[in-house]
Amino acid sequence: MTTDIRLPPTAPATAHQPVATPPRRRRGRPRIGTIVVLIVLAYLVIGPILMLLLSSFEDTSGGVVVRPPFPWTLQNFVTVLTTSKTLSVLGATLVFAVACLIVGFVISFALAWVVERTDVPLPGFIYVLVVAPAGMPGVISAIAWSLLMNPTNGFLNVLIRAVTGSTAEGPLNAYSLGGMIFVQGIALVPLTFLLITASLRNMSPNLEDAARASGARPWTVMRRVSLPLLTPVLIGALVYQFVTVIEGVDIPLVLGLPGRVTVFSTQVYLTTHSAFGLPNYGVSSTYGILLLVLAVAPLLIYNRVVRRSQDYATVSGKAFRPTRRKLGRWRWVTFAAIMVYVFISFVLPLLVLLYASLQPFVGAFTLASLSRLTFSGYASTFSSSLFWSSLGHTVIIGFVASFAVMAFSVALSWIIVRSKSKLAWIADVLAFIPHAIPGIVIGLAVLLIYLLIPAQVYGTVWIIVIAMVTQYISLGTRLTTGGIAQIQVGLEEAARTSGARGWQVWRSVLLPLLRPAIINGFMLVFLATIKNLTLPLMLQSSDNVVLSTLIWNDWNDGKVTETAVLSVVLTAVTVVASILLRRFSGSGEELK
Amino acid sequence: MTSGIKVDHLRHVYGNPGNEVVSVHDVSLDIGKNEFFTLLGPSGCGKTTTLRCIAGLEQPTSGSIELDGVVVVSDRIAVPTFRRDIGMVFQDYAVWPHMSVFDNVAFPLRVGKKLRRSEIAERVEQALDLVNMGQYIDRRATQLSGGQQQRLSLARALVRQPKVLLLDEPLSNLDAKLREQMRGELRLIQQRIGITTVFVTHDQVEALSLSTRIAVMNGGRVVQEGTPRDIYLQPSNEFVADFVGATSFIEGTATVATPEALTVETNVGAFACATNDAIRAGDSVTIALRPESLVVADEPTDAENSFAGIVELSLFVGDSVDYRVQVGDRLVRARGSARTQFQPGARVTMSVSASDCVVLPSRVTDEISAANR
Repeated sequence: MTTDIRLPPTAPATAHQPVATPPRRRRGRPRIGTIVVLIVLAYLVIGPILMLLLSSFEDTSGGVVVRPPFPWTLQNFVTVLTTSKTLSVLGATLVFAVACLIVGFVISFALAWVVERTDVPLPGFIYVLVVAPAGMPGVISAIAWSLLMNPTNGFLNVLIRAVTGSTAEGPLNAYSLGGMIFVQGIALVPLTFLLITASLRNMSPNLEDAARASGARPWTVMRRVSLPLLTPVLIGALVYQFVTVIEGVDIPLVLGLPGRVTVFSTQVYLTTHSAFGLPNYGVSSTYGILLLVLAVAPLLIYNRVVRRSQDYATVSGKAFRPTRRKLGRWRWVTFAAIMVYVFISFVLPLLVLLYASLQPFVGAFTLASLSRLTFSGYASTFSSSLFWSSLGHTVIIGFVASFAVMAFSVALSWIIVRSKSKLAWIADVLAFIPHAIPGIVIGLAVLLIYLLIPAQVYGTVWIIVIAMVTQYISLGTRLTTGGIAQIQVGLEEAARTSGARGWQVWRSVLLPLLRPAIINGFMLVFLATIKNLTLPLMLQSSDNVVLSTLIWNDWNDGKVTETAVLSVVLTAVTVVASILLRRFSGSGEELK
Repeated sequence: MTSGIKVDHLRHVYGNPGNEVVSVHDVSLDIGKNEFFTLLGPSGCGKTTTLRCIAGLEQPTSGSIELDGVVVVSDRIAVPTFRRDIGMVFQDYAVWPHMSVFDNVAFPLRVGKKLRRSEIAERVEQALDLVNMGQYIDRRATQLSGGQQQRLSLARALVRQPKVLLLDEPLSNLDAKLREQMRGELRLIQQRIGITTVFVTHDQVEALSLSTRIAVMNGGRVVQEGTPRDIYLQPSNEFVADFVGATSFIEGTATVATPEALTVETNVGAFACATNDAIRAGDSVTIALRPESLVVADEPTDAENSFAGIVELSLFVGDSVDYRVQVGDRLVRARGSARTQFQPGARVTMSVSASDCVVLPSRVTDEISAANR
């Protein structure tokens, strides 16, 4: 970023222009820094996709790893497309995703509307409690709900049976498509709620007031003005959350596996880490490609909406008080209903984990069991070296990946927003693509690359770092692009006309002004890497276990107390961290 | 007199091939040392792009620029901005919010060649005193008002004593009263330190009152260059006449055109006009009338060039009354005395002295309006 001469792209010389002009000076000559950043990112982003394509056309039956001379075959596609399993997986994935989105968005919209547009008591308190579960990793909430609703001895089932006198299994079943939808749908709420409240808040009151002044009733205002204005945000959030639902293995693995419900993400995981027999990387790559296609289609729509969203620019700088609807005697009823929701979605799972972590073994919840409370689970966890090494790995991966993501993001955003380089569009595309690759696919592709390349990366924490950087570069770039766009170009130009060189502009103007965005992004990515189970699980070896994989391994081995202890520890960290993050940064608008 | 700034056949095109926009067509300027030179024009006329090319913030497609005798842009050379001996003030102040007033002004000295700490402090103080900001030296930049931020930004531009000062609409973000005050100060400071200055504005009052010379730009070209007096009193085309002052136009045909007299026949009567060598008898021409040169009266006078009309709109603006008067098939703007106000519907007679009737050849006018489209 230190070259001085920047030239805009220009047209070839026209007829009446002096032909003597040497073209070299007039061209946008890309800088060395720009080229290096783009090459590294192309490797991180395009590399996995190419690897996936390559391996899907390889014969890898019998556990063969993708290797030169790369025997080409269509066998994987034939296998995948002709089994009836594929169709049922596709069906389950679609039902799962659509149902989760409906559950998540209906709850989020209702909550957001109540908090922002009615006189419900204590809106700030509600806001914090609705957003707090954002810190809870998916694998942990799945485990908590499994403890609550598994058909044999889930606490809620035991309670219901005690009341009804039934002795059969159930009646609630977490290990089903319905159970998965419930847990995943609720897990979508915090972020969706944040996005909707942020845009409700930013919407200029004049737009709604104008409708009211034109004689529209409240319901008409909502239907004809507020909702259409929210459309870009809603569609953006829907598509984003769609990818969130189909990319993760956590909830489908914990709840779907025992219930024999398989979605694409678990299918990719299972074909790669087969419990019986050898992995078939070609077949899992083919599943990965199908999943990629499934994720890309709505993202193309999303991209169009975002491009159009300037038509909907409704942000006004002014602080304002919208007209709040009077709920009258429903005020406290509404409040109570929201508290019930908060209890079910957040407090209950936490309580059950806390309880399980204090039991020597997990049985039915009785008065007798309360007298058996013990900290022995915590004691044995804190004395285990595996716990400490996993914690160490988690922290290393979090720091290195977040740092790398933010460094790349700042560079990419600057190329996109400020440089008049001809390569800016490449940076834009590179920053967008990871958004379209489901995490499970990134995990698979990165695994394949380092099985092929003899670098000493496979099985170490670094392979996880690489995958995390690929996964979160989109998130980071969105934050820093917003940050750089907010810095008036004039501030940069004033430094240059004051005689500052490229690096001096960066050091004394850009980086100091970007600091809040960089810190915010760093914390956000750090939090996301800690919560992530999908990537560490896909890339797991005995030497790179992190807290999230340790939780899954213990749960898979039936060590309920250990799982609960680890879950409580990790949740405490992430929930506190995410609340601090919100305090610090205000809101989650960055995910728009 | 050597040139302070020389711009030669500057052309600037942006956008991608096949979809390019020519922002500056072919601009050549020769700005003398210590001149206060203004680029005046509507938004999108290329004035800011021209200024940014001088600063090195944009690279021209072709053409060359010299600053104080040194070539900074040509076919072979593109001196980066930080090596150009300039100071620049931006429309939105561009005051760095994370630095104090002192640090903002000291910045150009710190990034340049090494100076002793005490020398930096001394020069920062001098620069701040020059713009009457000495007492704010320890404030945070964000604690300043708009006018103060603009002074700070001027001090920052002047602190390293550049050869050239570039001003990109520096007054347009200020409120009316402050703008007027800053206008005076800006010219005083420029005169006192003596620095070649290029000022970009769309405000004709600023341009006329501050400049030694003005280049009026439209559609990427300079359409007239001259002293404020020339530009205002002898606009060479309809665009300049219209843009510099709220001029009304009446079309007609020249009937007498000698070095001593110029008479134009219009459909509201014959006008005796200021002579113009470029006009031949029989040419179709346009007469440009400034609102303030028209005398509005309620009864016919025997003054020269008088014509009747009906008041359409009458606005009391304090020191005068603004009229729109229907004359034949067109509206003429006039400014009348504040003592009597004619109401809409009133029949009035307007007159104008021959020296205030500027005749423009219609051919030039057509070209300009074509370039505008």
